[in-house]
Amino acid sequence: MWTSFGFEFVNFYLIPGLVLGCIYALGAIGITLTFGILRFANFAHGEVMMTGAYLTWTISTLAGSLLGWALHPLIAAIPAVLAAIGILILIDRYFYKPFRDAPTIMVVMASFGMMLVVRSTVQFIWGPNQLTFVKGIDRPNEAVRQFTADFDMMLLVPNKHFWIMAGTIIIMLGFTYLLERTRIGKAMRAVSDSPDLASVTGIDVEAVVRATWIVGGFCAVAAGVFLAMDIQFLETTMGFRMLLPMFAAAILGGIGRPFGAVFGGLIIGLAEELSAYPWIGDAPLISPGYKTGVAFSIMIIMLIVRPSGLFKGRTF
Amino acid sequence: MRKIIISSIAALAMSTAAFAEVKVGNPMALTGPIPDLVAPMAKAVDLAAKNVNDQGGLFAGGEKYTVVRADSGCDPVAAVDAVTKLINISLVSAIIGPVCSGATIAQAESVSIPAGVVTLSVSASSPAITSMEKNTDLVFRAAASDAYQGIALAELTLGKGIKEIAVSYANDDYNAALAAVFAESFASMGGKVTANEAHEPSKASYRSEVATLGAGSDSLALFAYYGSGGITVMRNALETSAFKNFIGADGMLSDEVIKQLGAENLTNVTFTTSASDSGTAAYGAWKALADAAGVPASDPFVPNSYDATFMMALAIEKAGSGDRDKIAGALRSIANAPGEIILPGEFAKAKKILAGGGDIHYMGAAGPQDFDKNGDVAGSFSKSVVKDGAWSAELIK
Repeated sequence: MWTSFGFEFVNFYLIPGLVLGCIYALGAIGITLTFGILRFANFAHGEVMMTGAYLTWTISTLAGSLLGWALHPLIAAIPAVLAAIGILILIDRYFYKPFRDAPTIMVVMASFGMMLVVRSTVQFIWGPNQLTFVKGIDRPNEAVRQFTADFDMMLLVPNKHFWIMAGTIIIMLGFTYLLERTRIGKAMRAVSDSPDLASVTGIDVEAVVRATWIVGGFCAVAAGVFLAMDIQFLETTMGFRMLLPMFAAAILGGIGRPFGAVFGGLIIGLAEELSAYPWIGDAPLISPGYKTGVAFSIMIIMLIVRPSGLFKGRTF
Repeated sequence: MRKIIISSIAALAMSTAAFAEVKVGNPMALTGPIPDLVAPMAKAVDLAAKNVNDQGGLFAGGEKYTVVRADSGCDPVAAVDAVTKLINISLVSAIIGPVCSGATIAQAESVSIPAGVVTLSVSASSPAITSMEKNTDLVFRAAASDAYQGIALAELTLGKGIKEIAVSYANDDYNAALAAVFAESFASMGGKVTANEAHEPSKASYRSEVATLGAGSDSLALFAYYGSGGITVMRNALETSAFKNFIGADGMLSDEVIKQLGAENLTNVTFTTSASDSGTAAYGAWKALADAAGVPASDPFVPNSYDATFMMALAIEKAGSGDRDKIAGALRSIANAPGEIILPGEFAKAKKILAGGGDIHYMGAAGPQDFDKNGDVAGSFSKSVVKDGAWSAELIK
């Protein structure tokens, strides 16, 4: 039945891969920043994504039932981002700060514990059942389909994917400006390169830590909301399931390199989807049951061949 | 102050010890991919225990029949953990549950069989469970094996005029086994399986899977749990119009599917499930009990959950104690002929017959629960379609 489309590679492999890559990329930014600046692998990062999506759902549901407003998820996400960042800063103040000078392995384990605490709290408040984020089926955008069909390149892209890709590009532009042009962004890069040297030159390391949580939290909530927009439901392990590919993306791009994380995220997302394309014959090249394995093979090969990642990140 | 606390705790401990009870463990998938399906099943378990206790409890002394619940999460690791605690710490006499096949197999192999404890699953239906025991007789189930459901589903599909179908299944014990039975029976009945691929549960996107599978057919046999990818596969298939017809089984039969995808998109969807023949006297007795207690009588595996809990009470009554070694034999005795027929809820009657040295034969709410030599029961199935925004079931004859 695909003969009538002709453009199946782009529609069913490339674009879904890019969308997934955008979500991985946003999530990986937070991971690589905490890794670079706070020097530990934050396992609770997926839960930030999940909590942000749940908060967004709550806000849009409340707005719908109390005020009768049908908010677009991206509007409802704005207060959710603020709430999630507030929670993150509180967690850092009372939970991670006492660990600041502790050995890395202790902080990693502590973040693992925090992951379970956050997930249990969300399960306690919202229950273990799935919640419907957006009901129904988002069919491909008709105008784009008609327009591209005239050129024999029929694009089948649902509106939600346009939102996700456009949102990611805007966030990336803002993020680039922050890191390259602002004082705090430069301070963040300095602390990432060498925390001791940075504090000797008078940079307020605690302020940089706060900024890290704010930027990482913002990107994580964006990733969580984009993920929820794509899969259209919420469940409490949705963030955790994305965590390992996001780690792979962060390592692939180079630890402490935000642009590397974005690049890595796109590569991992594309690799997962494209590995199932029938490159040879009619059957998928690699059974889609092993998609995650593809992401990790790339990560492991990278660690062996070039441990610093594509963008010359930190090695341990 | 400390002394008072310690002595009051000690007094409390003694008072519970003095209150005689027989405990059974009940690991259920309260969290995980199918919490909506499990909630009414847990209610049915509680109802059965309540019926037993309301009718005088166990043995001559009226000991309490206590269900100790744990969360097996539909996950092999969580189930092993939960059952280990139930057996070693709560010291339960037997296990009723776990819900999912993977969880049931894992906990049986690594915990309950080595400990010599009977497992009576309420809903595990994988064909792999039939032959899992070597020299023991400890694993039973109150739900029919999918070896039968796969055949029923294949007949149903051909009956709908679908001759070519693509199969997609989640990579776990329950779904993979059911898909294998289905694909084999469908092919042997003259149908053509155009593609048969596993998918990994809980991914964010299944668009590439759907695209590859959709190349050969516009009908999809989907074997997955609704909460760990099943709904996403259907959503991706509908978004891209890759498939028009969907068939599937128990794991997908949830109101969540309608709630999330919208009834208007589900016009060509049929899911089968293990079901009860509502014409039997046993079902009538069960329905009266369930309606009075506000338990949905005909939901998937809800009658089976009641049967399992009730049969376990009868078996312990028959065995005369909560002794783990005697339960398997007693379970076979009360569930199979010969004996006087006992319907759901008739605990006092059964107790009287057993006390007089008589035999009983329990007729379950879900159907006759006669265990074969593998501890399996036969069963009937129903097919459900969406009608007026809800699932509407019809028994397959």
